[in-house]
Amino acid sequence: MSDLTLDRSARDVLRLAQPRPRWFAPGLAAGTTSAVMAVALLACSAWLITRAAEMPSLAFLGMAVVGVRAFAIFRSVFRYVERLTSHDAAFRQLAELRLGIFRRIVPVAPAGLATTGRGDLLTRLVRDVDDLQDLPLRVVQPLLVAGITASLSVVGIWLIVPAAGLTLLVCLLLAGVLGTLFSGSLAARAERELAPLRGALADEVLEIVENLDVLTAFDALQPRLEELARIDERLRRATLRRSVGVGVQSAVVSLFAGAATLGALYFGIPELTGGGGLLSPELLGPTLVVAVLVPMAVFEVFGMVPLAAGAWRQVRVSAMRVADVVPAAPPAEIPVDVVDPQVLVSLNQADAPVVLELTDLGARWPGQRDPGVAGVTLRLAPGDRVHLAGPSGAGKTTLAQTLVRFLDYTGSYRLNGVEVRLLAQSEVRQVVGLCEQRPWLFDDSIRQNLLFARDTATDTELNVVLTRVGLADWAARRGGLDARVGERGALVSGGQAQRIALARALLADFPVLIVDEPTANVDSAGADALVRDILTAAADAHRAVLLISHTPVPDELVTARVTLPAHA
Amino acid sequence: MRPLDSRLLRYASAARRFLLIGALLGFAQTLVIIAFAWLLTRAITLTVAGESLGAIVPTLAALAGVIVLRSALIWLLELAANRGAAQVKSQLRARVMAKLAERGPDWVATRQSARLATVVTTGLDALDNYFARYLPQLLLTMIATPILIAVILWQDLASGITVIIVIPLIPIFMILIGRATQSVQQEQWQALQRLSTGFLDVVGGLGTLKIYGREKRQFDRIRSITEEYRTRTMKVLRVSFLSGFVLELAASLSVALIAVSIGLRLIDGALLLGVGLFVLLLAPEAFLPLRQVGAQFHSAADGLAAAEELFAILDDESVATAPTIAAVPGHSALPTADAAATAGAPAPAALPGPGSGALRLAGVSVRRGDTVVIDQLHAEFASGELTALRGVSGVGKSTLVAALLGFVPLTGELTLGGAAVGAGAARPWLAWAGQRPGLFRGTVADNVALGAASAVPKAAASTSAALPSAALTSADPAVIAQALNWAGAAEVSPATVLGVNGEGLSGGQAQRVAAARAIYRALVTDCHVVILDEPSSALDADAEAGLLDGLRQLADQGRVVIVVSHRPAVVAAADHVIELQELIHV
Repeated sequence: MSDLTLDRSARDVLRLAQPRPRWFAPGLAAGTTSAVMAVALLACSAWLITRAAEMPSLAFLGMAVVGVRAFAIFRSVFRYVERLTSHDAAFRQLAELRLGIFRRIVPVAPAGLATTGRGDLLTRLVRDVDDLQDLPLRVVQPLLVAGITASLSVVGIWLIVPAAGLTLLVCLLLAGVLGTLFSGSLAARAERELAPLRGALADEVLEIVENLDVLTAFDALQPRLEELARIDERLRRATLRRSVGVGVQSAVVSLFAGAATLGALYFGIPELTGGGGLLSPELLGPTLVVAVLVPMAVFEVFGMVPLAAGAWRQVRVSAMRVADVVPAAPPAEIPVDVVDPQVLVSLNQADAPVVLELTDLGARWPGQRDPGVAGVTLRLAPGDRVHLAGPSGAGKTTLAQTLVRFLDYTGSYRLNGVEVRLLAQSEVRQVVGLCEQRPWLFDDSIRQNLLFARDTATDTELNVVLTRVGLADWAARRGGLDARVGERGALVSGGQAQRIALARALLADFPVLIVDEPTANVDSAGADALVRDILTAAADAHRAVLLISHTPVPDELVTARVTLPAHA
Repeated sequence: MRPLDSRLLRYASAARRFLLIGALLGFAQTLVIIAFAWLLTRAITLTVAGESLGAIVPTLAALAGVIVLRSALIWLLELAANRGAAQVKSQLRARVMAKLAERGPDWVATRQSARLATVVTTGLDALDNYFARYLPQLLLTMIATPILIAVILWQDLASGITVIIVIPLIPIFMILIGRATQSVQQEQWQALQRLSTGFLDVVGGLGTLKIYGREKRQFDRIRSITEEYRTRTMKVLRVSFLSGFVLELAASLSVALIAVSIGLRLIDGALLLGVGLFVLLLAPEAFLPLRQVGAQFHSAADGLAAAEELFAILDDESVATAPTIAAVPGHSALPTADAAATAGAPAPAALPGPGSGALRLAGVSVRRGDTVVIDQLHAEFASGELTALRGVSGVGKSTLVAALLGFVPLTGELTLGGAAVGAGAARPWLAWAGQRPGLFRGTVADNVALGAASAVPKAAASTSAALPSAALTSADPAVIAQALNWAGAAEVSPATVLGVNGEGLSGGQAQRVAAARAIYRALVTDCHVVILDEPSSALDADAEAGLLDGLRQLADQGRVVIVVSHRPAVVAAADHVIELQELIHV
């Protein structure tokens, strides 16, 4: 359970998962009270019965009778309060946790996340983040509750029969240490295997489900299903190995619970006839029975400890994986805003025309050795309509990603003469817009997919822009702006998705608009109209347009042509 | 909520096995519980009676033995439960994946793939707690509780009656509270599902959101989603924890009642200490399994809700998947060879090889749901020719391709060289590349040679059907290079390693690798028909020309080559152009 193996980044993630004391304390207090009362209930009942067997006057038992009833009722009440308050605290913290993780993703996305499998990302962010909730619920709280209750009980028994108290202490420690260590050594490795295997399984499942058409058409489905079965088998084996450990934990706890009871009997019996305890000069039968039975109740509470240790291991793995997928510091290829207000400048463009200049610009993707694009020199002024061509792999998309500051650059990139490095990224993106090659459509209505580009737009404006991108009839057929686009635009064809994305870009009215391969997946008749729409819109708004396209563009529509050379 | 869904037993044999083993272990545990309580009581009464340690040692020894046995049984039951859960999950997962394979791509396309993937992976994990914590307690409730009540009744009628009165109250409360929470529980599961795709939607679309400066607003969205999740879940928990509260209260109050009543009767001398203590130790054990069942109620509900979603997929028989093709009389089997058209083909093939004749559609109709997308289409795609298929967006080109692939049922006659093809899902005569490249993790070579391991190579088909399987599994590097070359992707190294979804290639490269995959299949397995859906939409003119050259060579080998495209270069290169007309729906 050492923190030594956790790096700072993972510890930061764990800190995000632990609710603040103000939220956490009520649950802890209620939980401890409930656990202590559970022990007290058994102690009180045992004392009552054994004392009653000595046939005293009823008056001697009055307090015990009241105690038994009160403990029985309030134990349940406090348990209910504990569960409600601790879960509420954990859920409140879940929002902080998600936001904290998202805050770390925002600066590196999308270029810094490209290497992560989507299925794995899904598993990580849904499952691992949810698992982190176990930190307060299943690790910290049980450990504290069990620790406090066990300590109080040990002291109590020690006062009655010192040797029995020590036996209980030793048994508790052994159960805790052995139970944890034994199951740990057996299962820790398997547990560490589980999360990556689950990720691999999710990746495989997602790849099969998403590409079922390809796999079916190429008769390759069976081998993939067999591969999935193999991964599943590995996951199952790892799970089975772990289950051996989980069972050992409970068994060890049960064993030492019995040992503590036996120990109390063994040490208590001679004391009853021979000597006395610390409380009274003479040990009485009822008191001895309390000392014998209390360990059973304590161990029932203490059973949480090895489980908490197991939960801790999983929480730790989750934290490390979360920290791993979203590094605390963005890689060098991802731009970071200048924070020094002395250095940070503002564009003050306020409707002024924007001139974009590139000199010997180069850029590289994270994890790649070679630059994705190099040596680009270009000037874009209002009214310019530049067609950027170049063979596949020349770095056209890299350039587009660099211009909207998803990737950092070498050389010079200036807006109205200001080096862009000195500007806030958000400010650059207010000026320079991008219509992506693979536009992301949100699983929502057409309206919502347009509105986030300009949320003040009226339905009339939305319909106008849909007409401009040639989607008016299509949208009307689908039931208007409320038609849903499906997950990742599943209900929309490739060309239609491009048009929606373009409509978004036109709504946002960027002074500089980069359009990355808009005609991919658009039929050629429509493509011409589309190119015409883009370039016409630019002329209207004193806007500069950089059109990245492999399809030919008529001369009268563009003011300049640039060709990126292929590079090795 | 039913505590145990019979479909779980039907779909997963491991669940049946676990119930049997669990019942046996539960019975053994019950005996051990009784023995422990009896021996402990005996040791205490002997002590209180003033016996010496020596006289009690045999009892202590027996107690020690019982304690060891108890540990072993606890270990075994947990082991069995965990194994059962892991095996049941595997069985259900395999069944669902097999079902998806059987229902086909078109059925899957109508569902959210992320949701399907979640259901089969993280959704199924909800069964862990169902098996590890709920089912064993359910078994103990059915086995241990009745036996323990009988023992208590036998020892002390009054205590036994108390237990018998209280115990039925617990299931009654469970049912009442369970009914109240059921609808809320299902809501919570749906909220969780929405959350899973909603959070991915935000993360996946983060690039787009950043372009529009909307990334900051997602904080509010995530906060509100999570806050909604918390309020929803707390609403459920307040009720389901209430059931736990009632159960615990009933159990501990009745133990308290028993303790007080025993105490009072002991004062009167109406009862022996041994009996009283024995009953006091047994009473909580009679309640324990029921309390655990109650405590694990929501983990059980989560598990069953997850299973429910799987069963919905497994039980779904809504759409017939097998394409129905009208059989052509006298041509129920594929021709072994077509003398007229096999000129140039190296050997007669068992499967339709190059030169098997034209692909002919006669009166072919395709429906999607209630909509007729293709109505009575007549078309012929000739051997050795490159045919361009075009039509305005939404006219049904993709639907026609899906029908030819066997993903969507079609009616009418589909014949290849005069023989009816297309009944069932197998398409050994067809190689295809879709609009979406659909590339996988692995090398470019792995992607191009996709399915080569399971396909029947030309050599095997023409010589013998019984070649050792090892000969079929290796991809031919020379053919891979040729396929890439013909797809106009000669510059893409076969050794390039791709990430998920073909990460690592540009859009145009991915498209040509997908085309190379179809070409490779056509070359290796001698597919007679090659269909490429918009293969050059992301290509520049040079790359497109390279691809068209390759397709021409495929056609020259006698194949039917169909390219769905509007690109002028494609149309110019085609021998024929078939224009799909829009259906006018009244």
